[in-house]
Amino acid sequence: MNQVLDPELARRLAGLTLRAKRTVDGLLAGMHRSPHRGASAMFKEHRAYRPGDDPRLIDWRAYARSDRYSIKHFEHETQLRGTLALDISGSMRWTSGTVTKLEHAATLLAALAYVLTRQGDAVSLITFDDAVRERLPARSGPAHLEYLLRKLSAPGESAAPTRIQPALDALIEHSGRRGLVVIASDLLDTSEAALTPVARLQAHGNQVLVLHVLDPAEIELPYKQPMRFDGLEGEASLEVDPAALRREYQDAMEEFLTDSRRRVVGAGGRYQLAKTDTPAEHTLLQLLRSR
Amino acid sequence: MGFALPWALVGLVAVGVPLVAHLMRRHKLPRQTLPTIAFLRRVYASRTARFRIVDLLLLALRIALVVLLVLAAARPYRVVSSTLGDRQQALAIVLDDSMSMSAIRGGSTRIERAVALARSHVAKLAPGSEVSVVLAGKPARLRARQQRELDTIAEALADLDPSSSRAGDLCGAVSLATEVLQESDLNDRRLLVLSDFAPGTRAAECEWPRGDLSLAFEPIGAAERDNLRIGRVDVSREQGGSTEVTLDVTVEGAPAQDKARVVLRHKGQESDQAGVEWVDGQGRATVTVPSDVSPNSVVELRLRPDDALPEDNVKGVPLRSETIHVLLVDGDPHPDPRKRETTFIRHALEVAPQAARSFAVEVLDAQDLSETAIMRADVVVLANASLDTGWSALLRRFVSAGGGLWITAGDRVEARAYAGVLGDLLPARYTATRNEERSLSLASDTLPELEQASVRRRTPLEVTSLNANVLARFNDGSPALVEHRYRSGRVALLATTVDDAWTDLPYQPAFPAFVYSVLERLAARSPDRIEPFGSVILPGSTDTQRMQVVLPSGSTVDLPEGDRITFRRTGEVGAYRVLINGIEGERFSFVVDAPAEESDLEAGEPPEIESEPATGAGQAELQDERPIAPWLLLAAAFLLLLEVWMRQTRRS
Repeated sequence: MNQVLDPELARRLAGLTLRAKRTVDGLLAGMHRSPHRGASAMFKEHRAYRPGDDPRLIDWRAYARSDRYSIKHFEHETQLRGTLALDISGSMRWTSGTVTKLEHAATLLAALAYVLTRQGDAVSLITFDDAVRERLPARSGPAHLEYLLRKLSAPGESAAPTRIQPALDALIEHSGRRGLVVIASDLLDTSEAALTPVARLQAHGNQVLVLHVLDPAEIELPYKQPMRFDGLEGEASLEVDPAALRREYQDAMEEFLTDSRRRVVGAGGRYQLAKTDTPAEHTLLQLLRSR
Repeated sequence: MGFALPWALVGLVAVGVPLVAHLMRRHKLPRQTLPTIAFLRRVYASRTARFRIVDLLLLALRIALVVLLVLAAARPYRVVSSTLGDRQQALAIVLDDSMSMSAIRGGSTRIERAVALARSHVAKLAPGSEVSVVLAGKPARLRARQQRELDTIAEALADLDPSSSRAGDLCGAVSLATEVLQESDLNDRRLLVLSDFAPGTRAAECEWPRGDLSLAFEPIGAAERDNLRIGRVDVSREQGGSTEVTLDVTVEGAPAQDKARVVLRHKGQESDQAGVEWVDGQGRATVTVPSDVSPNSVVELRLRPDDALPEDNVKGVPLRSETIHVLLVDGDPHPDPRKRETTFIRHALEVAPQAARSFAVEVLDAQDLSETAIMRADVVVLANASLDTGWSALLRRFVSAGGGLWITAGDRVEARAYAGVLGDLLPARYTATRNEERSLSLASDTLPELEQASVRRRTPLEVTSLNANVLARFNDGSPALVEHRYRSGRVALLATTVDDAWTDLPYQPAFPAFVYSVLERLAARSPDRIEPFGSVILPGSTDTQRMQVVLPSGSTVDLPEGDRITFRRTGEVGAYRVLINGIEGERFSFVVDAPAEESDLEAGEPPEIESEPATGAGQAELQDERPIAPWLLLAAAFLLLLEVWMRQTRRS
């Protein structure tokens, strides 16, 4: 765990509380408010019984006092199911400095897993490139967290291109109930359908958070001398003078970021740019405070 | 176009450097992985065409830059052919106006053609140019100095005499022109020589300017073989009482002209002529001087018909013999001719040997001494003459013009009067006359026999002139005969008499020789032959004497007043007569001879020295090597800036 989660980061994140924006169903009690009325320690209200209500929820004591069938409402804390999706495509293994995008993404997801586990939520993990490569079922508890972090620290080798849509489609299939879906990827899948599953996930009652992980060099193109550029996912090389193209490249990247944000937010999800030169806790704080 | 350092062109192989660098850059670029290469490719694709054009332009610029730098290193220059008129310059035209340049062909002389060429050069000069004109006839003369008014130069050239009798002085003219050019403030200084470069020019002997002065030669005229000249003339006088004088004339030149004849002229009239007979390539003719022509006059010979160079067809001939005209002024006349002061000296002259110089003697009493009489004499002897103060100007004028004056002592000679009136005319002054207790003898280096003479009385001499010569001394060492030069003439002073009153010298056998030697020394005449435009000393006019010179052309020149006049109007070849009050003063006549070396009209070549080539028709083309390197470096700097700008543009 220590390989991907800085103890200092873990300590600072310990005080944070992750609250879902929407209440979700869950079997496990937690800090999330459930829209379902049921057994709980916290009484909310009484209302008149209506046909179709579960007869087990009738408050017989109230019937004895008022001779009317009434239903006792409790506000339940439900257990959240968090799904973490990590892009392990070839492009994620690149860095202009010391930390690759994959390492940075893993750190962010590990922090979230730590927080979710600490508040008793179940956390699952999938890794993907052009397809889902590995899946860990949703569980809670320290042992699962340790196992999950171990997987994050060694997500496996891949040189395949990024294909977001298949991974998200698989998530939809396997997400039995509503929960929190966190996707960490560089989103270098420029196909039109790449982020369409976000809307479907949202429609299934999930809260989708997209962490757009990019190296600052990818955004700035800081190189000064003419170079021969090679892709990481099988693209043909290109000999150019980056200085001559920098401005237009930056414009293109800005358009890419804007488009990515627009697609995620348009589908009801949340978008957060996660540059590898920005401290992970800073990114997460921005993400959680916005909630 | 050429290159001062052509080996530097090897550097052109450096053209390959930007080419290779361009290709190497493509193959040895640093590699960099980039996940977002798809975006880069998309941007690049939109600008590929522009990049290719800019890259090719940059490559071309860099190659051009290398080429320019290499060419500049080779110090290229372009050879510019320019006429003299292309730029502002200081031009010195040396125009030869020596006699050979008077040769006529096609109705115009070489001088006229040279003038036309010079004017065409001047007309082509840029405004602000300055022109000097130096004439190379002897003596070299500066006709115009650094004249910027080119029209004035053209007019000055047009006023040049188309013919000339001058000798050549090309070297003097070149030296003069060089000095003038070196005074100029203009950087482009050129010397243009217009000459026929005939053998008499002796151009090769000149000191031609080197360094920053450009030289251009314009040979004028072609070779002329049709030229005769009168060479030597021998004057023969018939002996035996006859006064007939014949002139044996030698004609030099090509013997082809059978019709050539020699004409004798005197006072503008033709009196005799003779055809030229050619023997062994040399022409000969003999003409006879009419008997009415004074034997001391000058006559003129002319070759007819005229040839290419008429100036050397004329020759003046002085007929006068070597006779010395002596005027004896007797200061102690006596009714008995045997007792006159001048008796002994006259007798000595009468017995003078004819083989030597003869003497023509005239005796006058001192009171009869006149201006007219004195001007006919070569030497005037004042024998024991009491000095008339009126003689001062007369004698000074006579001596100044080349006459000789001999003053002898006697009872009538007043020492103070002579010293006071004649002053610096005399080489010494007389002191008090005294008798000698013991007779003195004379000593002379040239006449040792004089020691036989005995002098009993004398007027001792005290030398006053710095250039006095003591010709004889008494045996006590004191001067007996002192002489010096005064202007063009000579004056001698004798401390004793030339009769037997004070000495027995007249009785000595050496006396005639003594008299001859003194008179010959005093009668040293000025040369009667001078070169054209040379000077001759003549006595000036006075209140009572009008001095005139009759030129060969017949025109008369009045001489101004003065003791001696330097006459320089001697440009005409031939005989010059001098008239004294209208009467011919034969002893002053002279002739001007054409310079013999100028009669050779063979075509000459300019001296073989490093000079600018000259072409005909006034187009003296000058080859200038103008450096191009500064322009190439300027262009390289411009290309460098352009390359930087294009690189920046490409990146932005």
